[in-house]
Amino acid sequence: MLNLPRWQTIVIIAITVLSGLFALPNLLPSNVLDALPHWYSQNRINLGLDLRGGAHFLLEADLRSVLTERLTNLSDSVRADMRKQQVGIKDVTVEPGRAVIVTLRDEAQRTKAIEAIRALDPTLAVSGSGDTIRLAYSEQELFRRKKEVIDQSIEILRRRVDETGTLEPTLVRQGDERILLQVPGIKDTTDLKRKINQTAKLTFHLVNEDVAAAGANIPATLPPTTFLVPTREGMQELRRTNPKAWEDIQAANPRMSPEQICRRYQPQCLPVLKRVVVGGEDLDDSKATFEQQQGGRPIISFTFNSAGGRAFCAATRANIGKRLAIQLDGEIISAPVVQSAICGGSGIITGSFTTQQTQEQALLLRSGALPATLTIIQESTVGADLGADAIQAGTVAALVGTVLVAIVMFVAYGPVFGGFANLAMLVNLLMVFAGMSILGASLTLPGMAGLVLTVGMAVDSNVLIYERVREEKALGRSAFSSIATGYERAMSAIIDANLTTLIAAVLLFGFGSGPIRGFATTLSLGLLTSMFSSTIFTRMLLAVWVRWRRPTELVI
Amino acid sequence: MWKPVHLFAFKKKFDFLRWRKPALILSTLINVVAILAVVFVGLNFGIDFKGGIALQVRAKQGAAAQLDALRATVGGLGVGEVSLQEFGEASTVLIRIQRQEGNAQCVAGAQRVMQKRSSAGWQVKPGAAGTGDVEFTAPQALDGAGWRDAVSRVGLTIVERQLPRGTTATAKVDMSPEQRAEWCQQVAIKAVEDAIGANYDIRGTESVGPKIGDELMMSGIWAVLATMAAIVVYVWFRYEWQFGVGALVAMLHDVITTLGVFVLLQLDFSLTALAAVLTIAGYSINDTVVIFDRVRENMRRYKKLGLIDLLNLSLNETLSRTLMTSGTVFVAVLALVVFGGPVLYSFSIGMLWGVIVGTYSSVWIACAALVYLNLRPDQLRPADEEAAKAKA
Repeated sequence: MLNLPRWQTIVIIAITVLSGLFALPNLLPSNVLDALPHWYSQNRINLGLDLRGGAHFLLEADLRSVLTERLTNLSDSVRADMRKQQVGIKDVTVEPGRAVIVTLRDEAQRTKAIEAIRALDPTLAVSGSGDTIRLAYSEQELFRRKKEVIDQSIEILRRRVDETGTLEPTLVRQGDERILLQVPGIKDTTDLKRKINQTAKLTFHLVNEDVAAAGANIPATLPPTTFLVPTREGMQELRRTNPKAWEDIQAANPRMSPEQICRRYQPQCLPVLKRVVVGGEDLDDSKATFEQQQGGRPIISFTFNSAGGRAFCAATRANIGKRLAIQLDGEIISAPVVQSAICGGSGIITGSFTTQQTQEQALLLRSGALPATLTIIQESTVGADLGADAIQAGTVAALVGTVLVAIVMFVAYGPVFGGFANLAMLVNLLMVFAGMSILGASLTLPGMAGLVLTVGMAVDSNVLIYERVREEKALGRSAFSSIATGYERAMSAIIDANLTTLIAAVLLFGFGSGPIRGFATTLSLGLLTSMFSSTIFTRMLLAVWVRWRRPTELVI
Repeated sequence: MWKPVHLFAFKKKFDFLRWRKPALILSTLINVVAILAVVFVGLNFGIDFKGGIALQVRAKQGAAAQLDALRATVGGLGVGEVSLQEFGEASTVLIRIQRQEGNAQCVAGAQRVMQKRSSAGWQVKPGAAGTGDVEFTAPQALDGAGWRDAVSRVGLTIVERQLPRGTTATAKVDMSPEQRAEWCQQVAIKAVEDAIGANYDIRGTESVGPKIGDELMMSGIWAVLATMAAIVVYVWFRYEWQFGVGALVAMLHDVITTLGVFVLLQLDFSLTALAAVLTIAGYSINDTVVIFDRVRENMRRYKKLGLIDLLNLSLNETLSRTLMTSGTVFVAVLALVVFGGPVLYSFSIGMLWGVIVGTYSSVWIACAALVYLNLRPDQLRPADEEAAKAKA
């Protein structure tokens, strides 16, 4: 048991050294870290919001209203369609958030009506009997729609919250209808909440083809009706080639106008008429689809409300062959050529797009408006000084706890055995740090409490082993044999004791959220790594020690 | 170099199980009291479970906080029940406000916030009874962006379709009563910020809406039950069924008395406190398992020893490690109690109790349960007893 093969010793030492290397960036002062290569020094444990300071929001999307609205639209088109198909209907009602109920005048027309509805939207689940037809979205379709709304909301929030690209917000979907938003380091949540409410400015403008035909990217003079707006590609190009300029633009306060940006940094720009053809508030929806004919090219389709549809119809009829520029927050995201008058309230943008591009563009078009009301159902804000206090309290508690436990072990088991156990405890802490760095887990205040507990529990395995060694020694075994049997016989109790606590920690991880997860993380990591450090690692130390000192009697 | 200190260096022969009846009576009493306390007095649930708002504020320039004045100010805002507590130091106060119901007082509060943060001409009124609608009247006509910006001052997020078309001076925001209750949490935070902002810095805010509170409560209960079940199943697989039952009883004992301590000391029962309870459930088994492991070993070794003697022997053999393992965790938790700060306080106190009671219950509850469950006949035939004695 104590005669370890050489390869085992090498593996144990390698694991220990690697853990040390992974944990090291967390322990070094920042001036040393700056001198190290970035790929190594960045490998550090994230501090949770409760230590770092920042804001945490749980937002709930009002999907029921979105669904009800969609169903109301559906009921309108069903009504119109039935009239066209000459199916007599008594009534069309909407069951809020659930279904549309169509009541027919004549039961005999049921099959005809259902056929027509299926043609209208094949994803609908049709049920009911006699003269009533119940239309609902299938489970799958419902799930898809909900997911779409949430994903879209997340993208919009990301744009709104992090317009400067410096805040590093975390945005994740939680369950069916929730979004978790975490912004580290901010204190003023009023500003953040206002940003959530902000809408991206989306407008449609006609391109001034006369100016564009002259050929200059940045013409020296412009007619008073026209201004210059950089294109999205142009801005992305500028960001790549001249990041300094891009940063200046982002940081400028007050914000630079599109024309100023064009004149100063000369990205690719387009001259457009100042008059707004249609505003984003009139755009109902846009999505990436495929052309029906001509080989199914990826295209973007969009729908206006009635006011927007009328304005769009008039503008396109008068300007066939000209380009219509779509401006979003001071950038032209697209400028398709008007092919024909678009009067149905909806239209398509064609071009040589990839599927990914159409999806992006459709999302950008939608990003004017949040699809659903978001309610803050949980919020927590921690000021930076409060976080600093928490770090200090946690660190002091951890240090004092570690020192106290180390003293107890030294006193109870002497300099050699106590020393080995304490060394193992330090290795255990390094391994927890390393594990958290690798997993990218966040350290929270309860997480620090978990570390302290781990320190107290990790040495328990050594206690069990050492007590067993004492017993074996009392039975008259030799030094070598007492240690070997001690390790062997203590093992089952060690595994049972660690696993039961581990069960609690893992279940807590599954249940908990936020800071509590931090506790579950450090505790379960600590228990797992202690099985290595307190048993395998100390056994190696003792094996080396026994062979070196060849003690005739153990002082334990 | 120093010599290791041996706890109980003398030959240990405590007759632990002689005290099993008094211990049983004592534990039953404590548990009954704890259950009654939890049922009739109730845990002091934190906002994690109850919903509500907690603000940590500190008097500006480090002055001592005026608790009475604060209580009067915040209590007068119409936000419901308010409780104040000095938090860690004299200048810092934890203000706790009950979860908001979305009533007319909240709407009145929203009007005050609008008047203070925007301009005096604002009016906010509740909509039709039975709905959660709110009607805003602006001092001058606003367009869509203006409305969105204005209502975000009271923490309201609205989507475009909820707004009136064009430029208007009034807007009705459709909400369900539940949505209004969630929004009122935001209104209450802002009302408090406005009322005390001149003299106090707000260091941290926590708000848990009614819906999340209810959900966390349910999942918390499930977490405790699932953890206990999983641990018992594990012990049951590893040992005979009597050990499983003994471990379960000891664990219930520890969890129930810990809850009792939370009620008795009126400690804040938050998510961290729940973490303590779950950890205690897991840790309670630690000592028990160490003893059970030895009992099982001795059962094989001393086939004819009576149960009581066998248990006493095992307890004595494992006594020093039981005390040492508890002792190391105890000093670690003690460091948390003293230095961990006010946020971790209820967690640390709960854990401290858990470590103590876990050790006690391993000896007098878990092992005593084995006696009552007849793990092995207590009185052996005289011949066996002779043999057992001879062997021991």
